[in-house]
Amino acid sequence: MSGETPPREPVERVIELRLPSKLGYERVAMDTASSLARRMGFQPDRVESLKTAVSEAVTNAIEHGNEHDAAMKVVVLLTARADELIVDVSDQGRKPFDQSRAIRRPIIEEVLEQDDKGGWGIWLIRELMDEVEFSTALSGGNQIRMVIHLEQ
Amino acid sequence: MMLEDELTVSTRERDGVAIIDLSGDVTTFAEEKINNAYREVTSKGARNVLLNFRQNDYINSAGIAILIGIVTEVTRNDQKLAVSGLSQHFQKIFRMVGLAQYAEIYQDEQEALAAFKARS
Repeated sequence: MSGETPPREPVERVIELRLPSKLGYERVAMDTASSLARRMGFQPDRVESLKTAVSEAVTNAIEHGNEHDAAMKVVVLLTARADELIVDVSDQGRKPFDQSRAIRRPIIEEVLEQDDKGGWGIWLIRELMDEVEFSTALSGGNQIRMVIHLEQ
Repeated sequence: MMLEDELTVSTRERDGVAIIDLSGDVTTFAEEKINNAYREVTSKGARNVLLNFRQNDYINSAGIAILIGIVTEVTRNDQKLAVSGLSQHFQKIFRMVGLAQYAEIYQDEQEALAAFKARS
């Protein structure tokens, strides 16, 4: 390993999915992540948390980032490390991610009064995953990186 | 490929409780079916409504938004709402979101019906 560049992940530990931007395909990512996490030894409740987080991140990319254009891809990278699973979800960024949504915690008493009852996805991801990071790719796409630690 | 609309909704009545059985995935595609079932039992005068889920089904944030919509209606119509059959994970999610403040959570239909009976 050189000190200049970060070490690359061994290729056999990275799974890449390229999903059409059509609702329903988030399940493919969810099932793949679930299958991998179980094999890595994650407890069932952690696998469930991961499934919800992956589903919400991919749904967000389909609906907002790529605005349901099925020809645009959502790329999901699953990187299995000895002590954690990293999930990167990126879209092609038709619509930039609203950063204010990343920090807002919806309050049910307020939501009940609003016409729009949604907005729980990002908050759930933050609550359920150990690390969450939002960024913008050079190409303009939105990226979210989620990390879940394997507790021994 | 069946990637959408994988929800079956049906209604029945038992011990004075209108039970809405939800079998399948509660996502954005579920909105019409759930709202229709709720309107149907409400139009028949239901005071007690039970949303009976099936373990291990998938509920996402769009599904949660639909259920919050039901809570709004239940409050407006002065009904009592409970949920049953949720997996441990979704019981946790319901508590995190705050839905548990508006709908009592029971393990299964029997437990929910007994609780409705005790409250009436």
